[in-house]
Amino acid sequence: MSDQTFFFNLVEVGHFAAYLAMVVAVVQGLAPLLARQLRMPALAGVAVNASVAVFALTTLGGLTLIHAFVTSNFSVLYVSQHSNLQLPMFYKVSALWGGHEGSLYLWVWILTLYTAILGWHGRTRYPQRLPVILAVQGWLVVGFFGLILFLSSPFERLFPVPADGNDLNPLLQDPGMVIHPPMLYLGYVGFSVPFAFAMAALLTNWNSTLWSGLIRRWALIAWGFLTTGIVLGGWWAYHELGWGGYWAWDPVENASFMPWLLGTALIHSITVQDHRRMLHAWNIFLVITTFSLSLLGTFLVRSGVLSSVHAFAVDPGRGAYILVFMVTVLTISFSIFMIKGRAQQAQESITSAFSRESVFVWNNVIFAFACATVLLATLYPLALEALTAAKITVGAPYFNAVMVPIFLVVMLLMGIAPLLPWRKANLAKLRSRLTIPAVLGAIALAIMLVLFQPTHWTAPVAVGLVGFVLGTIVTDLLRAVNQRRAQLSEHFGRATLKAVLANRRHYGGMVIHLGVLVMALGLVGSGLFRSEITVAMAGGDVLEISGERLRFEGVRTFRKDNYESLQAQFTSLDSGYVLLPERRFYPRQEAPMTESGLDSTLVRDVYIIISERSGDKWIFRAFVIPLVQFIWLGTIIILAGLGLTLSSRRRKVKQEAIDHSSLAHAK
Amino acid sequence: MTNIKWMFLVLVLVAMPSLAGEVSEDPLERQMLEIAKLLRCAVCQNQPISDSASDLARDMRAIIREQLQAGKSRDEIIAYFVERYGNYVLLKPPVDRAGAAVWFLPPLLLLVIGTFAVVFVRRRLRQPLPPAPELSDEDMARVHAARDQD
Repeated sequence: MSDQTFFFNLVEVGHFAAYLAMVVAVVQGLAPLLARQLRMPALAGVAVNASVAVFALTTLGGLTLIHAFVTSNFSVLYVSQHSNLQLPMFYKVSALWGGHEGSLYLWVWILTLYTAILGWHGRTRYPQRLPVILAVQGWLVVGFFGLILFLSSPFERLFPVPADGNDLNPLLQDPGMVIHPPMLYLGYVGFSVPFAFAMAALLTNWNSTLWSGLIRRWALIAWGFLTTGIVLGGWWAYHELGWGGYWAWDPVENASFMPWLLGTALIHSITVQDHRRMLHAWNIFLVITTFSLSLLGTFLVRSGVLSSVHAFAVDPGRGAYILVFMVTVLTISFSIFMIKGRAQQAQESITSAFSRESVFVWNNVIFAFACATVLLATLYPLALEALTAAKITVGAPYFNAVMVPIFLVVMLLMGIAPLLPWRKANLAKLRSRLTIPAVLGAIALAIMLVLFQPTHWTAPVAVGLVGFVLGTIVTDLLRAVNQRRAQLSEHFGRATLKAVLANRRHYGGMVIHLGVLVMALGLVGSGLFRSEITVAMAGGDVLEISGERLRFEGVRTFRKDNYESLQAQFTSLDSGYVLLPERRFYPRQEAPMTESGLDSTLVRDVYIIISERSGDKWIFRAFVIPLVQFIWLGTIIILAGLGLTLSSRRRKVKQEAIDHSSLAHAK
Repeated sequence: MTNIKWMFLVLVLVAMPSLAGEVSEDPLERQMLEIAKLLRCAVCQNQPISDSASDLARDMRAIIREQLQAGKSRDEIIAYFVERYGNYVLLKPPVDRAGAAVWFLPPLLLLVIGTFAVVFVRRRLRQPLPPAPELSDEDMARVHAARDQD
C-alpha cells in the first residue's frame, strides 16, 4: 500500500518490540544469577515479571506482522514473499508461518507463551525454583531471538514497495497446513518446559519427588501437541499430496518423529519415577535429549541441509547458527548433568525383574532404540555425502523393514505391562491373567489369516497383538470393576465409571493405548490392504475397484479465490456418492496442485486423483483404502485419554509427593 | 454446485452411459508400480517415482513399462537404473561399503542399549535400598507449609 510511508509503519513498532523482548529476556536469564551474586534474593522475582513482558512484547511483534499480512503491506519483505492481494484472508493470517522467518518467529512466540504460563503456574506451586526455571527459558528465548533478529528477520523491509506480492506456497493453502505448524511447534517447544525443570532441578538440587510430577505433566502436554501436530501433517499429506499415503519417512517427518519417540519413552519412565522413586537421572537424561531432538528437528528443517548438503555448506549462516546453538545447549546441559546429576539419586531399588517397572525399562530400551535408528538413518546419508561425496538414499522401504518389527515389540510390551503390578509379580497370577488376552490375540490372528488372506506377515501378527493388548486392557479394567462390585455392591455401569474416575492417571493411559490400537488397525488396513488402479477414461466410462463402480461424468474448469481449477466428477453407480478430484493452478506456480476426490466411511476411503491428460482421455489413479479413518479416530481417542490422565486432580498428586518426602525425611 | 451448473460447465461431453465401457487397468501397470515404489525420483526430496508428479518420474515410469513389455525382469530393470544413477536411486540402500552402516549399526545399537538395561536392572536388583537423601531446609519448610494447607 502506497500510503504506508517510510516514516511510520506499524511493523517497525513490532520490530522494536522484538528487540526489546530479546533484551528483557537477557534480564530474565540473568535475574537469578544477579540475585545470588549481589545477595539480593528479591531480584530473582524480576524474572517472573520479565517473562510476562517478553511474551507481551513478542506478541506485539507477531501481531504487527499479522497486521502487515492482513493489510497486504508489501513493504515488508517477508509479506511480499508469502502473500498477495488475491490470497484469502484465512491464509493471509496463517502465511505468518508459511516461510522460514515467520516459522522461527512462531517458534519463539510459542516459547515465550510457555514461559509466561510457567511464570503464572509456578507463582504458588514452586516459587523458589521459578526464577531459575524462567532463566533457562529466558536464555532459550535469547538464543532464538538472536537468530531471528540478526540472521532471518521477518521484519526486513523492501523498497520500492511492490504493487503485489508473491504467492504463499499453494501446498500450504490448506486448512490442515494452517494448524499443523502451530501444533507441531507447541509440541517441539513444549519440551523446553521439562527441560527447564530438569535444569533447575540439577542446579538447585531440587528434591525429585517435588519435580517429577511437574515434568510428567508438562511432558504429557508437549507430547499431546506433538502427536496432534504429526498426525495433522499426515492428514494434510493424505488430502493434499495425491499419492494416497500419509507418512513417507521423509527426513522432515523423521525430524518430528524422533522427539516423539523419545518423548514417549519419557512419559513412561517418568511414571516409574512417580510411582517407584527410581530412574531420576535417566529421566533427566531423557528430558535433555528429547529437547535436543526438538532443536535438531528445527535445525534439519530450517537450515536447508535436507534439500542439499552442498547448498548448506556454501551458505551456512542460519543453519550454522542453529547448529552452534544446539551444540551449546547440549554441552551446557550435559555438563550440568554430569556435575550435578549425582544428587538426583534413586530412592528405591528394583524388587523383581517381573514387575511393571522393569517392563517400563524395556519400553525405554525399545523407544530409545527406535529413536536412535531413525536418527542414524536420517543423518547417515547427510554425513556420508558431506564427508565422502558418496550418495545413498534411505527411504520408506528401509524404514518399513526396520521400524515395523520394532513397533510390533512395542505392542507386545504394551500388552504385558498392565498385567504386571508394581514391585513384584506373582508368577502364577500372571499366568492366569495372560490366558484371556492370549486367547483373544489368537482369535484375532486366526480371523485375519482365514478371512482376509494377508499378503504380508505383519498384518496377522499386528492384528493378533491388537487383540492381545485389548484383552489385557479390558481384563485389567474388569478386575477393578469386579472388586468394586464385590466390596461396594455397585451395579456394573456405576462401578466401571467409579473405577475409571478413581484412577484417572492409569485409565487415561489405557485409553491412550486403546487409541494406539485403533490407529494400529488403521495403519494395517490402509498400509497393507489398499487396492489401487491407474486407468485412462473418457466421459461416461466406468471404473471398478474393490467392488466400487465409479462413472466418470466429465471435467470442468472454474476460477475460485486465487486459483483456477480443473475438476473431474465421478458418481458411484451403487451408492450415489460423488467424488470431485481437482487440479489447481496457481498463478506464479508451474506445477499444479492435486486435490483428491474423497468419499470416506469408517471402513474405507475411496480416493481418486487426476493424474494427467492423455489424448482425449484422462488418466486417473484410484484407491480404495480400508480403515484409514481409524488413524484419525485413534488420534482423537489418544487425546481423550490424555485429557483423562491430566484431569487427575493435582491435590492428590501433591499430597502423595508430600507424603513421600516426609517419609523419606523420617527415615 | 447444482446439477444445472454442472450441465453447463461440463467440457468433455458425457457419452451415453449405455455406450460407455467399463475400463480396466493395463496389467503391466501393477508390475510397473511395484518396481517404481523401490526407486527414488532423483530430482525430488526422497520420493519414490511411483508417487511423484515430476516429469523425470513420469519418464522413468515409462521406461519401466517399456522394459517390462520387452520382457525384462524386475531385477534387470532395477539394475538398469542403478547403472544409470548409481545406488542413490534405490530407496532401500544395499549392503555395500556405503550402505552397510544403516543395516549393521541398528542391531549393534540395540545390543548396546539392551546390555546397558540388563546391567542396570541386575545391579539394582542386588542393591539394597539407597539411603534417602536429606531434604534441604527450604524444601522441608515447603513440605510443612503444604501439609498445613491441607
